[in-house]
Amino acid sequence: MRELLRSPAGLVGTCLLLLVGAMMVLGPLLAPYDPQSFHPRARLQGPSLAHLLGTDQFGRDLLSRLLHGARNTVAFGLGATALGVIIGSIIGVTAGVIGGWIDSAIMRVLDGLLAVPDLLFTLLIVTMLGAGMGYAMLAVSVAFTPGMARIARSAVLSIRTREYVLAAIARGESWGWIIGREVLPNAIGPIVVEATIRVSFAMMIGATLGFLGLGAQPPSTEWGLMVAEARQFMFRSPWCVAVPGVAIALAALGFNLFGDALRDSFDPRRRLR
Amino acid sequence: MSADTDTSALDVQGYSLRYRSADGQFDALKSIDLTVRRGRTLGLVGESGSGKTSLAWAIMRYLPANLQELSGTLLLAGEDLRTKTTRQILEIRGARVSMVFQDPSTSLNPIMRLGDQLAEVLIRHRGLSARAAFEEGTALLARTGIRSPAEMMRRYPHQASGGEKQRVVIATAIACNPDLIIFDEPTTALDIVTARQILDLFTTLREETGVAALYISHDLGLVSRIAHEVAVIHQGEIVEHGPCAEVFRAPRRAYTRALLAAVPDPAHRIGTPPPDPATPPLLTLANINVRYGELPWLLRLLRPGQAVVQGARNVSFDVRPGELVGVVGESGSGKSTIAKVLAGLQEFSGSVTFAGQRYQGRRAFDRAYRHAVQIVFQNPDASLNPRQTVATILSRPLKLYGTVPPLRIPARIAELLARVRLPAQFATRYPHQLSGGEKQRVAIARAFAAEPKLVICDEITSSLDVSVQASVAELLVELQRETGTACVFITHDLNLVRQLAHRIAVMQHGELVDLFDTADATLPDRAAYTRTLLDAVPTLARIENGVVP
Amino acid sequence: MTPGYLARRLAAVLLVLLVVSFAVFAITMILPGNAAVMILGEYATPDQLAAVSERLGLNRPWSVQYLDWLGGMFRGDWGMSLRLSLPVAGLIASAFANSAMLAATALVTVTVIAIPLGIAAAVKRGTRADLAIGLLAYIGTSMPEFVTATLLIVFLAGPESGLFPAGGFVSPLEDFWGFVAHVMLPAGTLSLVLTAHIARQTRSEMADVLASDYVRAARLKGLAEPAVLRRHALPNALAPTIAVISLDIGYLLGGIIVVEEIFAWPGLGRLLIYALENRDLPVIMGVTLVLAMVYATSNLISDLVIAIIDPRVRYA
Repeated sequence: MRELLRSPAGLVGTCLLLLVGAMMVLGPLLAPYDPQSFHPRARLQGPSLAHLLGTDQFGRDLLSRLLHGARNTVAFGLGATALGVIIGSIIGVTAGVIGGWIDSAIMRVLDGLLAVPDLLFTLLIVTMLGAGMGYAMLAVSVAFTPGMARIARSAVLSIRTREYVLAAIARGESWGWIIGREVLPNAIGPIVVEATIRVSFAMMIGATLGFLGLGAQPPSTEWGLMVAEARQFMFRSPWCVAVPGVAIALAALGFNLFGDALRDSFDPRRRLR
Repeated sequence: MSADTDTSALDVQGYSLRYRSADGQFDALKSIDLTVRRGRTLGLVGESGSGKTSLAWAIMRYLPANLQELSGTLLLAGEDLRTKTTRQILEIRGARVSMVFQDPSTSLNPIMRLGDQLAEVLIRHRGLSARAAFEEGTALLARTGIRSPAEMMRRYPHQASGGEKQRVVIATAIACNPDLIIFDEPTTALDIVTARQILDLFTTLREETGVAALYISHDLGLVSRIAHEVAVIHQGEIVEHGPCAEVFRAPRRAYTRALLAAVPDPAHRIGTPPPDPATPPLLTLANINVRYGELPWLLRLLRPGQAVVQGARNVSFDVRPGELVGVVGESGSGKSTIAKVLAGLQEFSGSVTFAGQRYQGRRAFDRAYRHAVQIVFQNPDASLNPRQTVATILSRPLKLYGTVPPLRIPARIAELLARVRLPAQFATRYPHQLSGGEKQRVAIARAFAAEPKLVICDEITSSLDVSVQASVAELLVELQRETGTACVFITHDLNLVRQLAHRIAVMQHGELVDLFDTADATLPDRAAYTRTLLDAVPTLARIENGVVP
Repeated sequence: MTPGYLARRLAAVLLVLLVVSFAVFAITMILPGNAAVMILGEYATPDQLAAVSERLGLNRPWSVQYLDWLGGMFRGDWGMSLRLSLPVAGLIASAFANSAMLAATALVTVTVIAIPLGIAAAVKRGTRADLAIGLLAYIGTSMPEFVTATLLIVFLAGPESGLFPAGGFVSPLEDFWGFVAHVMLPAGTLSLVLTAHIARQTRSEMADVLASDYVRAARLKGLAEPAVLRRHALPNALAPTIAVISLDIGYLLGGIIVVEEIFAWPGLGRLLIYALENRDLPVIMGVTLVLAMVYATSNLISDLVIAIIDPRVRYA
């Protein structure tokens, strides 16, 4: 952990994540206004003492909406990634451990699915399931599965041939011990790193879906949807689009920086650079 | 040698170098004094971390930013390299002082033709045209003993063997008739026979060109064969410096004596007394065959172009209880394949008979076999799980095979550590907190924790420093003496195996080409390949017989 | 390059496309409501539905339908759009050309900017320039396209500044400068994230190469730094960088969907969103397959280019 905070990227990333975490946990408590209440006389205002980040087209307080929306947007990213990582890791670890023709067949199918861009994949699944946060989350996690499976598999393959794993096999250890105690603790690093970076992608895709009207539905405070709703008024009041837009970018930046710092702390060779 | 022998090619005086990092600083080189005279070879011998490579970088003026020069002069043919400008250094590097690296497979640019990499120096320093450089390069390659040099010039590194690549690197180093060539372990990455050829090439070229050489190595036996003078470096200090014959015959410092004592000497046997030849064998391998890369038909469609490689072909030999059989060969000879077969890590055809039980195929090995046969791997960094403590590592075989009651496990771990001469408090440490030799002792303890009848040692000394190698080998023999365990000792180090083994099996291209009692190693009726291997290995003994170069 | 290598790569591409086509087909089969419902609307009588299903062959087993559809794709018969009543092939062809212009502009911009940036960052490792490039890269990879696009429109296409049109498309054959004006913002949006990513990857590849033994050997031959970079470092960093670019084309294709929608660019992305909103199955399937084909082909091309650069691959 100290290693993480030593690099500037790790420090900034950790701070951003702490900020995002605080918004998720305490956001609704800290919000000065009800995020849904209209203030017709204070529409599309810039920042002021009454409204620190201004108001939107209905006079709703942007700061309050932002604080409430953190849960939607970030939890979406975390949830979708977690699901994708779990499914993907199970597939990847299975393929890597079993090997042989099953591995080859799984990998060829995954190669095919990887040829479909993540966003397109998500759009197809959302269309199939229907719009809404829950389905969108499922769609993103399914779209992430092939990529995560690949990474999990290669992590397993690189560890499977390590001599301590060979030693365990030679000793006659059970598969449970070999996978659970010898392979996984050492394979988890790259998986965690990739997952952290992917949270930022998932958040961005989730916000994009909200923006396209396929994810969160009004009057949700999801940040992507906030951008979409304010787009009509963006020339009159750039604040309305800039505030949620920058919030998405900062949250994503936090996960990106943190993930990279995590990778460096796992890889001493990189740390030396 | 000619009359200018007394002028020096390289003269290092009072040179000190300090290494700084976030965790502090330490002195990599402490007031080094060294002289390499013209036409002479100085062998610089040291273990890893001794500072021998730092000195090479200092002479090449290629120091990373966290190294700080404290004092001293580096005179190349009388000129102080430390006072040269960057531009002047560029003129000197590759022309007046050049370097041959340890591993030719990484020191050559993989996507550039070998000829272009050689010609580059000639164009840069001797101002030749591209055409003239190609011709000169071809001539240089011919001098390094490459048979069709013009064709080699047009090849890429991956199309040449390790020995051929190292010849190209050497040709590049001599291309501009330098004052000094630094050889940084130039044979370590090569096979025994290839290494021998490169060494012969080195001595030939030295005679022809009269170039001065600084030969860096960890191998005293090797240095004793090629160097005129030797300097022993230990923890950044030159502890001994003098003519080769003198230093080797009468070392003045304890460290040098310890190093010399650690060099395996086949005449000095440390193995256990041979078992009775009449006892029935414990292990019998019959017609073991291993083929790599063989795929079922469906996979062949999915992964076409994968070649089938024969890892072992009809290998048969046996091991008696308490016996140590050495398996020797170069890389790719199939010796490690045999280790994997015996450890149940590699599918095979043929049969393994152990303690009266016959096993055909990897899956046939049962719990009893896996309990009685243990393996120790080459690299202790890789064979100990970095996320487990020494206690966890050692407790596994105890729990798995139930060799001691659960309550006795901590006491047993302490016993095991004591037997491999490690302090008991190591139990709570993680592998990365131990040195290479200590890790290998833990790995050996793990194998003996199972109370096996047979231990497979797959190159267990080759990733260790010379002095550590000897102590690990002695430890193994001692454990063998105490427990009566048999051992299959796989190695490329013929000198070491002749000290330890009762019988030696020689492998080449997956086949067992020779099998003999250790005492008969030098008999004239040995297989031709065995004799080639024996001839290729540098031993210290020769120098005592007066065969100084 | 051996013919075997080429054949292997081609076979892999075909396999990928087969998997994609099947996945796409499977998704359309699972979709609630079949094509007949979509044509007739929710209030159709069962008799009408049965008749249309019969005509479209929806009652046949799915395997027959799949093979029939796949065969049609090979013959160039991509079906009719359910909403627009136009042949899918024609719709896709014109949209493809428009998307290609946008993607090519973005890709060229990215390549010209990102690779030199990455190399500069690796060579000047640890300096302020390196830090600035790194920061830029992080910000670029953390901005979703719709945010970048919206911000670009607000600041560069608003009523006050009005530097660029906020959307729309002009064919370069009719009005080249009009095309340039219209392509600037969408291509800029797409370029930002890709530039960031490719610059970062190039930096890391280049840093690996610069730390390699053969670059050190080249320096110790007395070559000056520019020669070391030109002759030894750059050629070795090029192949992995090309691989990264080809992988990023997948990202570009995803970005194009959003960007075209925002900037009203009449390409594949916009067509796809339209088809998704209207559940126009033949169009959805066609566009998805084309996008996957583009991606697979670009990977193939990058493999071939790498094989030309790297003799180890070429003679494999």
